[in-house]
Amino acid sequence: MNLANIYAKINARVRIAPEEGLELLREAELLDLAELARVLRFQHNPLPRVTFVRDTNPNYTNVCENDCAFCAFYRHRDDPEAYAASVDEMIRNFQAAAKTGVTAVLLQGGVNPALPLDYYLEMVRRTVSEVPEVHPHFFSAPEIIGLSRFSGLSVPQLLQKFWDAGLRTLPGGGAEVLAEGVKKRISPRKGTAADWLSVMQAAHRIGYKATATMMYGHLESDADIITHLESIRRLQDEYQGFTAFVPWSFKPDNSPLGRSITQRATPTRYLRIIALARIYLENFPHIQASWFSEGKKIGQIALHFGADDFGGTLLEENVHASANFLNKTSAEECIRMIHTAGFDAAERTTLYAISQVFPLAI
Amino acid sequence: MIDDFKDKKLVPLWNKIEQGERLTLDDGLVLFHSNDLISLGKMAQRVQQRMSGDAVYFAVNQKIEPSNICALACRFCNFSTKEGQAGAYDMEIEEIIGKIAPDIGEVHITGALHPYRPWEYYLDMVRRIKKHVPQADIKAFTAIEIDYFHKKFRLPVKSILQQLKEAGLSALPGGGAEVFSERLRRLLFPRKIGAATWLRIHAAAHRLGIPTNATLLYGHVETYAERLTHMLRLREVQDQTGGFLTFIPLAFQPGSTGIKPRPEYTSAVDDLKTIAVARLMLDNFPHIKAYWVMLTEEVAAAALNFGADDLDGTVGGEKIAHDAGATSPMELAKERLIKIIHEAGKIPVERDGCYHPLDIHREKVIGKIPYLNSVPFYNYFEKGSFKMLPVVPRWMGLLSLKDKISAGIFSLMDYLGQEDRLAMLDFCIACRADVQSVLLFSRKKWPDLDSGKIGITDDTATSVQLLRVLLKHKYGLQPQLVRMPGPVCAGRDYAAVLLIGDEALKRKKFGLPGFNKVYDLATEWYEWQNLPFVFALWAQNKSLAAKDKVALHRQIDQALRAEELHPSSLSTLHGGRIGLTPRETRDYLAGFTFRLGEQERQAIAVFRRLVASLDPPGGEGRAVPAPVRHSREGRDGAKK
Repeated sequence: MNLANIYAKINARVRIAPEEGLELLREAELLDLAELARVLRFQHNPLPRVTFVRDTNPNYTNVCENDCAFCAFYRHRDDPEAYAASVDEMIRNFQAAAKTGVTAVLLQGGVNPALPLDYYLEMVRRTVSEVPEVHPHFFSAPEIIGLSRFSGLSVPQLLQKFWDAGLRTLPGGGAEVLAEGVKKRISPRKGTAADWLSVMQAAHRIGYKATATMMYGHLESDADIITHLESIRRLQDEYQGFTAFVPWSFKPDNSPLGRSITQRATPTRYLRIIALARIYLENFPHIQASWFSEGKKIGQIALHFGADDFGGTLLEENVHASANFLNKTSAEECIRMIHTAGFDAAERTTLYAISQVFPLAI
Repeated sequence: MIDDFKDKKLVPLWNKIEQGERLTLDDGLVLFHSNDLISLGKMAQRVQQRMSGDAVYFAVNQKIEPSNICALACRFCNFSTKEGQAGAYDMEIEEIIGKIAPDIGEVHITGALHPYRPWEYYLDMVRRIKKHVPQADIKAFTAIEIDYFHKKFRLPVKSILQQLKEAGLSALPGGGAEVFSERLRRLLFPRKIGAATWLRIHAAAHRLGIPTNATLLYGHVETYAERLTHMLRLREVQDQTGGFLTFIPLAFQPGSTGIKPRPEYTSAVDDLKTIAVARLMLDNFPHIKAYWVMLTEEVAAAALNFGADDLDGTVGGEKIAHDAGATSPMELAKERLIKIIHEAGKIPVERDGCYHPLDIHREKVIGKIPYLNSVPFYNYFEKGSFKMLPVVPRWMGLLSLKDKISAGIFSLMDYLGQEDRLAMLDFCIACRADVQSVLLFSRKKWPDLDSGKIGITDDTATSVQLLRVLLKHKYGLQPQLVRMPGPVCAGRDYAAVLLIGDEALKRKKFGLPGFNKVYDLATEWYEWQNLPFVFALWAQNKSLAAKDKVALHRQIDQALRAEELHPSSLSTLHGGRIGLTPRETRDYLAGFTFRLGEQERQAIAVFRRLVASLDPPGGEGRAVPAPVRHSREGRDGAKK
């Protein structure tokens, strides 16, 4: 396989095959990928503008029975640090966040069998009615899968109930790397890759929008990463339900997997994956680079590698923090980071509607 | 892919670079004002690859700051204290030695301007560290400290440097340069030495054979023009001395210094631009360092694709940057550095203080000889899954002994000494008459060379063996051959000196004062044996996978064919750098045979026999090395 032929295909806007994606991931010069990704990025989004959302990322419970090897956040039911917040407490949390200007709540939690379906439905309903300033972006696929198991309802039935309660988007967490071999080793009880995809498929069929994520840098091979991208690209062909792709690296601290994988993936790996994603996922409207997950500086650089979104301001975040990965920002800093990277900044909603533009003063 | 510039203002600049023209201050401003980060990176990386291939260097090193009690108080410094203040410390030499691990490759010492330590303390520090870790290069004392010693101990700068060198100092670090601007000096560090003094001290070091580094402290209140002026002044001095090894842009850490940087400083984009611009402006600096302690690991990693080819090292402990709030971890394990370099698509090369490749941590590495006569192999070479490491023949031989090199152009002697692990390919660097780049510069005719010393260089064994063969078997002479420790021009004690490669070409054109006879060793051989002489040949490690062997042979063949059909401008550029006209370069390269024919094979067999009859057979130069350091490696040294 010849890289020049693959580049020609990409420049001619011809979809590349998985084995070509693999060749790019393995062999392409980083800046050649960046160049191609940048051209495509400006095709998807012609404005030199990078979006962000004012959001928060609280967790209603840390009790989880999935025991994923990479997770430093979860606790078992009888652990002194275990908690499950009431709906009242969470609504108060959202209200406090809304007061600071937050417009979106990305809510996730452990897979906690003690919480009944009504708890979840009430959480959605009350958020919609009592905190109308925020958009609820609730419950990742593994939580839906867990809830389906505890409630006896099918995934489509559950999703329909949430839709009726007012939920319109799902966060894309819990995908890790969508390759069965990897999932079996790092999160055997969290559902298979096919399970994650079928939750998303059912959601898209109803009309939900969602993000697709990928957590790399543990046991996966290059080929597994391509399998992941190929799976979500296919699903996107069917329903166009994904708004953005969001990759981040595994953080080893405080998790069982971290005992064997002691080193984080390097910043260059992140840039390579961002650029490759922009090239491979030509049916995804947005690629999100985060100031959060890899560090502010690499986040800025990624904006030149095909990403057109800077993620959320994350008023509250607990999962990465449990792995000793701490990073904080404010909307003002977020705007400044986008500006100093050379782009106009724009605040967006969860559904990528622009609410306010902050032009780069020249 | 490099012609696809988003910012069209960069196109004329790239054309200039391609034609070997130098960038001006105005060009530099265009670069800094461009938002086309990727094209800047590609330009810088292309230039960097011509100089250091796919190599990224790092050292297992230790930084030591013996004291923070300082006679100065610079505004941007969070480190200095006064004696008696909380946090003040002052190390005795034992304490310093206690911090140095025995397997270290480089010791880096900088510190405060201590109010009353005597001169002997510093000399003793260097001497005792050198005794403790003789294999390590000691890089110590910034120009600020040297100037302070000079004033405090009333000794000339030259004598300060000479005494330190004799005590075991290898190089000077590049700190204290800040920004070469009177405006900024008055504003931020009025009591520090100015640009003129800093540059004078470095030039003095270079003349004594002490290589140095140079820094730029950027990202506070300086302008782009001030950054560029700084780079241009360094470039000027480097033209004269060739003694700078590395340029190190240091991102300013505001901490609690009270200085408020311009809002655009220093974003990750500004950091990467500064690295790239430095690589493009400083065309005569062998290396650009991404110093992770100041840049953060994130930016330093990315910088490896934006023109930087050095990541500094494991560092051990670094107080200054951390006291100002730098967020990088205190110690990056060697494994982490290797992973960062590897994932950046580069070869992790463990170096000493003078950039000799002590070890490499990647498979499938091709050694690239940095001499003009090898250029025809490389311009059209499709690397595929191989990586390219520029390395002088001698070090290539050493790395191959450790099975660290998959293939490359080996000095004939190295090949003959490693036939157990190396297999010959059908390509070589041979010539049938004069070679022009393996020359004996002599004060006397051949017969009069029997007494007196002949100085030899350390870069390749083959030329040395050819000289010995000629001396013994052609002329029946047995003069003493001595390795020249320093710059070749210091050859006063020698009756003749043997020069090879680009240095020989340059001297052939411009002369070596005092040495009036110039003997071309290939001509000497040809007139005697009526056979070509094979200086070097392509060989591959026998353990290389079969499909890689096939790919390699095809790639070399295709690259050479392409070069024969459409000679690239690369050799002209390379020739230009050592002072040859395009015509001279062409003529020089026309004298070589690059394919191994029957006559070449026969010549190898004859030479092998003659070398074997030397006493000791194959002796001097080929065997296992006590790494002899080049005290000075400018643009024409080992680091092309």
